[in-house]
Amino acid sequence: MSDKQLTDMREHAQKLETEINKVVVGQQTPIRLITTAIFSRGHVLLEGDVGVGKTTLLRAFTRCIGGGYQRIEGTIDLMPNDLVYHTYLGEDGKPHVSPGPLLMSGENLSVFFFNEINRARPQVHSLLLRVMAERTLSAFNKEYHFPHMLVFADRNQVEKEETFEIPSAARDRFMMEIPIVVPDDNAIMESLVFDTKFHNVDALVDTIQADILQFDQLNAFSALLQAKIEATPTLRQYALNLWRATKTPTAYGVKVSGVDMNRLVLSGASPRGMSMLMRAARVNAWLSKRDSVLPEDIHAVFHSTVAHRLVFSPVYEMRRTEIARELLTGIVNAVAAP
Amino acid sequence: MNCLMNKLITPIRIGLLSLLLMLSTSFVATANDEPSPEIPEGIVKLSKVDPARNVGFLMGDILDRTITLEVKKPYKLIETTLPIVGYEHRYKGQVSGIELRKISHSTKENRDTTTYVIQIAYQVFTTAPVVKPAILPAEVVKFEGPATEEAKDGLVQYKIPEFYFRISPMAVFGAVKIEDDMSPLRQPILLQPYPEKQKLVACLVVLGLSLLGLLYILGSRAWLPLMGRPFAQASRQLRKLSAKDPEQLKTALSSLHKAINTTAKYSVFSDNMAVFLAHAPSFKSIESELNEFFALSHQVFFDTQSTAIHDKNTLAWLKKFCKQCRDCERGLKPAKQKKA
Repeated sequence: MSDKQLTDMREHAQKLETEINKVVVGQQTPIRLITTAIFSRGHVLLEGDVGVGKTTLLRAFTRCIGGGYQRIEGTIDLMPNDLVYHTYLGEDGKPHVSPGPLLMSGENLSVFFFNEINRARPQVHSLLLRVMAERTLSAFNKEYHFPHMLVFADRNQVEKEETFEIPSAARDRFMMEIPIVVPDDNAIMESLVFDTKFHNVDALVDTIQADILQFDQLNAFSALLQAKIEATPTLRQYALNLWRATKTPTAYGVKVSGVDMNRLVLSGASPRGMSMLMRAARVNAWLSKRDSVLPEDIHAVFHSTVAHRLVFSPVYEMRRTEIARELLTGIVNAVAAP
Repeated sequence: MNCLMNKLITPIRIGLLSLLLMLSTSFVATANDEPSPEIPEGIVKLSKVDPARNVGFLMGDILDRTITLEVKKPYKLIETTLPIVGYEHRYKGQVSGIELRKISHSTKENRDTTTYVIQIAYQVFTTAPVVKPAILPAEVVKFEGPATEEAKDGLVQYKIPEFYFRISPMAVFGAVKIEDDMSPLRQPILLQPYPEKQKLVACLVVLGLSLLGLLYILGSRAWLPLMGRPFAQASRQLRKLSAKDPEQLKTALSSLHKAINTTAKYSVFSDNMAVFLAHAPSFKSIESELNEFFALSHQVFFDTQSTAIHDKNTLAWLKKFCKQCRDCERGLKPAKQKKA
C-alpha cells in the first residue's frame, strides 16, 4: 500500500511542479527545491532582489497545496504581538482584538510568508524561531498549534540599511535558503516583460489547478517517505565526510580563492542541518523514482541546505554568498564516494 | 766640554765606518765580477762526482754534482764567488734552460791544505723535439792568496770543468711533425690528465643517474609520459582480482572511481560527468560505458534493494572498461564492447 502511496503522491508532486512552472517561468531549480522542502516539511528562506517573483511563487504553491496562506511585511517597527493579534476600535466605539496573521487561519495555516524578514527586529526573529521549531504559540493564555505550517521568508541581501541580520540560530531553523534570480534566457525575459498574462498576478495564480496536494496529509506522507527511502552505509559515510568537510575544509584540501582557509569557518553545518540535508536528499531520491539515496541526491540539495548554516569569520561575512558557493562546490569536488 | 766633544766625534765615527763599509763592498764586488789570473798549477787538486749518465734527461730532472777542491794554504776560497741559487747560465745572451736549484759547501782544514766540498744541484727547464745537447756550466770560483806579479791583489780564479749531457725530447715518436715544430719557444707538452678524465666521467655518470632518478620522481614514478597513469594503475589492480570473491567487485569499482577522480582532479559523479567530458574529451567516445559504470556503481554501493549482481561477466566487463579508459587516457581510440 505504501509503495502505491509513494507512486501516487509522486505523480501529484510532478503535477504540482508542472503547474507552478506554467506561471513562474525559468525557475525550475527553485521550484524543485521548494517542492522538496514541502515534502520534507522544512521552512524555506528565499533570497533574491525585489520583483523577481518570490511572492507569486509562494502564492502559486499555496494554491496548489491548499490550506491557509498568511503574509506579513518585515518593518523596523514590527513587534512580535503584531504577528499574534490586531487591536482596533470597532463601529460600536469599543476596542476589539482580532487574530493576527499567525492565528488567523488557525490549525489550517499551511504557508506563512514573512516578507523581508531581515527588516524585522530580533524580538520578532525570536518569536518566529519558536514558531518554526515547535509549530506552537502561546497567546491569550492558550497554546496554539500549527501542525501543517511552513514558513517562507525572504530577505534582500543587497540593502543593508535599517536591517537586522538573522542570527545563526534562526537561520539554522530554515531547511533551505533558495536563491531566486532573474532567468538569463532571452525568450523568458521577453515573455516576462511583454506577455500580458504576467501583468496580473492574481489572475495568473488563478489559472493554476487548486488543491493538487492535501496540506493536512503532507506530514503523514512525509514520515512515510522518510521511512521508505533508504541510505546505504557507503552513502552514510559519504554524508558524514561531507559534514566533516564543512567543519574542517582544510583537512580535505578545499581552498577558496582570496580566503585564509584557517580563519574562514567558525562553525560548520549543525547536526540539525545535516539531518535536514538527508531529509531533503530522500525527497529528491523519491522525486527521481528511486528507493535509495544517491550522492547525486545530496548534491541536488547540498548548497541550499548547508550554505546558510555555515558561520564564517566576520571579515568574510560581506562575501558570504560567493564564498559559501565556492566552498561548498570545493567540498563536493574534494570528497569522494565511494 | 766633554759632552760637546762627544757630539762632534760621533758623526765623524759614523762617517769613517760608512767609508770602510763602502770600500769592503767595492772590494767584494770587484773580486766577484772582474776576471782574475788563473791560480798557479799544483795549488788546487780537483775531484768531482758527476751524474752517472749523460743522456736521457727530461724537463724537470735534477742533476747533482759534488766538487771537491783541495787547496794548498795560504789560499782561501772566497765564498761569495760561489754561484747563487736561481742563477741561470746564458750562452750568447740566451738562457740555457739549466738553472741552479741548490748549492751548499763545507770546509775542512788540513795541515797544509784546505778541502772544500761543494754540492751543486741543477734543474733542467728546457726541452726540444729532438735530442738536445746541454751543459752544466763551468763555474768560476776565486781564491785569495799571496800577492804575486800576476796577481798583485792576491786574487786568483779556478774554473770548475763543465759537464756535457743530452736532454731527451718529451714528444712521442710520430706525434709531432718536427719540420713544423722547430721553434725553441714551443711550450712543453702537457701531461695527459687520464685519471682526472676518468673521475670526471664517473661524476657525469652519477649526475646523469641522479637526473634520471629525479625525472622518475617528478614524473609520478613513471619512466615514460604514458606510463603509470591512473587507469594504467587501476588496470594492473583489476588484473589481480578474482570473480570468486564478491567483495572484489567493490574493490574494482572503487579502483575505477579513484582513477576517474585522479584523472579529473576532483570527485566525478554522474551529475558532473558532463564537466569531466568537457575537460577530458578523449573519454567522450566511451560516454555510454561511463554512464553504465556509474549505474553499476550506484547499484552496488547505494541501492539497498539491488539483488546480487556479482558474477564473472560483471568483473570481466569492468576489466574491459578499465582498458578502454586506459586507451582514452593514452589518446588512443578504445575498442567498443558489449553491454554488461
